[in-house]
Amino acid sequence: MNTEELTALAVDKLVDARGTACPGPLLEAKKAIGTISSGQIMEVLSADEGTKRDIPKWANKKGHDYLGTVEESGYFKIYLKKG
Amino acid sequence: MAEELNNDNRILSELFRTFFAKHWPVWIGGIILGMLNILLFMIKSPWGGSGGYNNWGENVYQAAGFLGLENVTPTNTSLYGMLNILIILGAFAGALFSKEFALRIPPVGELIKGFIGGGLMAIGATMGIGCTIGGFFSGIPALSGGAIFLTIGLFLGTLVALKYLFWEMENFPGFSTGKSRTLLAASEKTGGWQIWLGWIVIIVVFVMAYNYFGNGNAVMSWFVIIGLLMGLICQRSRFCIVASFRDPFMTGKSSSTVGVITGLLIGLIGFTIIKLFGVGAGDTALRAREMTWVFPHFWLRAPIGGFIFGLGMTIAGGCAVGALWRFGEGQVKLWAAVLGFLLISPISKKFIVPEFVDLLPHSLRYKNFMPDYIGYTWSVVIVLAILFIWYLFVKWNERTGKFSTY
Repeated sequence: MNTEELTALAVDKLVDARGTACPGPLLEAKKAIGTISSGQIMEVLSADEGTKRDIPKWANKKGHDYLGTVEESGYFKIYLKKG
Repeated sequence: MAEELNNDNRILSELFRTFFAKHWPVWIGGIILGMLNILLFMIKSPWGGSGGYNNWGENVYQAAGFLGLENVTPTNTSLYGMLNILIILGAFAGALFSKEFALRIPPVGELIKGFIGGGLMAIGATMGIGCTIGGFFSGIPALSGGAIFLTIGLFLGTLVALKYLFWEMENFPGFSTGKSRTLLAASEKTGGWQIWLGWIVIIVVFVMAYNYFGNGNAVMSWFVIIGLLMGLICQRSRFCIVASFRDPFMTGKSSSTVGVITGLLIGLIGFTIIKLFGVGAGDTALRAREMTWVFPHFWLRAPIGGFIFGLGMTIAGGCAVGALWRFGEGQVKLWAAVLGFLLISPISKKFIVPEFVDLLPHSLRYKNFMPDYIGYTWSVVIVLAILFIWYLFVKWNERTGKFSTY
């Protein structure tokens, strides 16, 4: 998905983890994904560079779809679809 | 002519992008850090982290007139005090070149955790004699028996702190959340100043190295340059020793562990050669060269310190070096960790450690250089076997997820 498609997604759950450092954003993503149902979209905001790598890997392993990442100034928006 | 220039420019910008457009694989970072560690040992002595923090702290307390400290080595003549500063500057330059620098100010709860984590690292490093760098990343290749026990302590500390982080998130989700701010961040189109500032940092560091060299301190001038490279490489490869211990038990991801194992392997080869042949021994006795970075913490003093250090680094989200390079890329939580580390270290050294050491009989805190007992060959074989088993474990666990709670 490209940036336009990603930002146009209807997000079911927004997790703002910009305040926490590694591994905080991943912990928060893991906790939040338990609150949505299969097929719903989650957006994780993170200011930690390491998260760009970690969350997609974790999502793949857990069978969620990693849809893409949008870079904003100073943070990222990572989009996932629960599997 | 103009076209040639244009081509040259494109080649240069491609080269620049190779290094700074994307993160590097951690194992590349591991290889280079292992080699730079060998260079430090050839010039003087291997990489260490906690000593530099302690030097900063002692200078702060001396200036403030606390603790009655006198004749503290000024940081500008302390090899390891300077090395730590240069790691911060190197990471700062790396983050600027890739436009990843930003002041990331977390909520107060995270800052408190950073400070406490840093303080625990200071207590652990002074009690166990060594941190994740001097005690582990250099200690294992130095064939120090105590380093293996320190590593066990680091592992246990990491696991307990990880349990705590899960528990905190379930029971006190409010503690680490709240208002956070990001300042000075760049984006694809803006923030060109970051690249310029990066070049200024590099120039300043080279002038610094040149001055040390001119003043007859060649060792320091090389520590300055190697420190800069170490910080830059850590930042680009996100070389994280906390992650290498933690990730297999969290996400199951093995890349950080493999990176650290690679660095240990390279270090092992170089350190063994230096010790066996007495490379760089100069006027010191060969025996002193062999015993470099073999600390009197075998076998119980090491894991106790390691355990406390492991708790601290996991709560802070960065070990002795991880805190430095994240400091350089603008993560304010790790500023708190660095502050906690440098402020607590001299206090721990003066008041906590002597009490603690008196409790331990000498048989639980002596220098164990493995080749003294089993020879060089078997020492190297044992370390290789440990690294290989660790590698197999994290790879197997990555596939099966047997030990990852996530």
